[in-house]
Amino acid sequence: MSQISPSSTARSARNTSWLITAIMALGAIVFVLPIALIVITAFKPDAEIVNFRGVLPHAGTLQNFRDILGSPEEIPIAHWFGNSLLISTLVTLLVLTVDSLAAYGLARLNLPGKRWVFGLIVATLMVPGQILLVPVYLILNRLGWLDTPLALIVPAGAGAFGVFLLHQFFLNIPRDLEEAAALDGCSRLGIYFHVALPLSIPALATLGIFTFIGSWNDFLGPLVFLDSVDKYTLPVGIALFQTSYYAEYGLTLAASVLCTLPVLIAFLLFQKHIIQGIALTGLKD
Amino acid sequence: MTLMSPATRKVLKSYSGYLFVVPYLALFGLFLLFPLLYGLGLSFYKRELLSVVPAHFTGLNNYTEAMHDAYFWKSLFATLRFVAICAPLTVTLALTIAIGLSRVKGRMQTLLRAAYFAPTVLTVSVAGIVWRWFYNSEFGLFNAYLKHVGMKAPWLTNTGWALASIAIMTLWWTVGGPTVVLLAGVHNIPPQYHEAASLDGADGWLAIRHITLPLLRPVLLFVIVMNIIGSFQVFGQTFMITRGGPEMSTRSLVQYIYETAFNNYRMGYAAALSWLLFLIIAVFSAVQFRLMREK
Repeated sequence: MSQISPSSTARSARNTSWLITAIMALGAIVFVLPIALIVITAFKPDAEIVNFRGVLPHAGTLQNFRDILGSPEEIPIAHWFGNSLLISTLVTLLVLTVDSLAAYGLARLNLPGKRWVFGLIVATLMVPGQILLVPVYLILNRLGWLDTPLALIVPAGAGAFGVFLLHQFFLNIPRDLEEAAALDGCSRLGIYFHVALPLSIPALATLGIFTFIGSWNDFLGPLVFLDSVDKYTLPVGIALFQTSYYAEYGLTLAASVLCTLPVLIAFLLFQKHIIQGIALTGLKD
Repeated sequence: MTLMSPATRKVLKSYSGYLFVVPYLALFGLFLLFPLLYGLGLSFYKRELLSVVPAHFTGLNNYTEAMHDAYFWKSLFATLRFVAICAPLTVTLALTIAIGLSRVKGRMQTLLRAAYFAPTVLTVSVAGIVWRWFYNSEFGLFNAYLKHVGMKAPWLTNTGWALASIAIMTLWWTVGGPTVVLLAGVHNIPPQYHEAASLDGADGWLAIRHITLPLLRPVLLFVIVMNIIGSFQVFGQTFMITRGGPEMSTRSLVQYIYETAFNNYRMGYAAALSWLLFLIIAVFSAVQFRLMREK
């Protein structure tokens, strides 16, 4: 009995472990399936989408992609792609620059009253973005930035998340490193560039990918701040396009593939950073 | 240079450090702090962009109007229903997936975690388009399968169903975030706790109930509060999938604010509605923190 018992519990533990893995894998397939369906269905002719006869296409076609890329007057999807790329890239650069400077100052420099300033910044993390929509619209209107990329780029630099994230990271840089650099004649800006930034590349990468995907996927901002069709970003362009090509799922799904591909690739390449960043936001207190 | 005493120079130097912070603070001030207060001020004004009447102070008028506005109540009710369906489901499912994943070993765990998280990186218009196709009553995917067993569901066409259908889509789209946070929380529990419990014969459910859940409480509280705050702000999904229909049964408060401001250009009233939403969210979060702390 005493000889059998441990090995049988070990075996039953291994069995439950396999069972759990199998169940979790099944669930994971359910979660990925809709994404796979977007891609697969984009290669189906409309007749097959409307009259569903199984997941895989019977007569696969590139026609949807040809159609959507082939009529730039009606569907300026390359334009939308360019706008999205420009806006997301500039937002990411802006956020990384101003947030890392501010976080460095607040975490490492002896600034009078910095605890108050940091407290105020962090408190705004609780503010739901939507309540800023109307006043920011009026401010952008006054600045003459509505219907320009600036309306989506500059206000995006105001968010507190990045300052908070980098601040926590900079706090952990050892004092000795800074002092050594200062003895070598490094200025504060030099220490920021040559000590703080190189040591924080993981945090900067996390913030950068986060910001890029967030900006790429932003829907309400471009919906409200942009007017002209050729100024649209991909998410809003596709949404508008869906309303006018209501029943043509092949086209809208092909457009969806083009819109999703960049973020999906970014996610697959950097998933460790992205997931760590998300986890970090929940565990800091 | 000789005019400055060392003390003055030191003070100057410490303030000059703010040059690092100034670029961010300028943006923060202009596009966060100022609009926050500007919006509050605006909520006491009648300001209509299409009206010839200039903006003027009307005190609490916008707020009393909201109290008598049937559309406001209807959209608030739809929002509350959405929160009531979506938040508990999301947190429960996230917790289940997180605990399940924590039992999966090594690289497989990383792979599966990525799969559960993947829908989160889709933009709302893409997620909305797919699910609108799934739910379509004539040639949608779900009804194509249901047809085989002689059934047909009014996913988006019935006022009782539409909001729940959107909640299911939201569950799929957003559960990855809280799952990842909770999984990190589970990993943060020192392994000694489980080892000690397992020596006492507490495995499986017992260990989850008496070790994992109590130690996960702070993270769980964070996830619940964030999820409720997020659910209150529902807009993109309902806007993409149903436009708020049928019969406004899925028109959320944020969509009503959006339409008030950018279809009807009633900026003052929209600002007041925004602040009401903010207040409701703040009260809910405060109550939540209280309840969870006391327990």
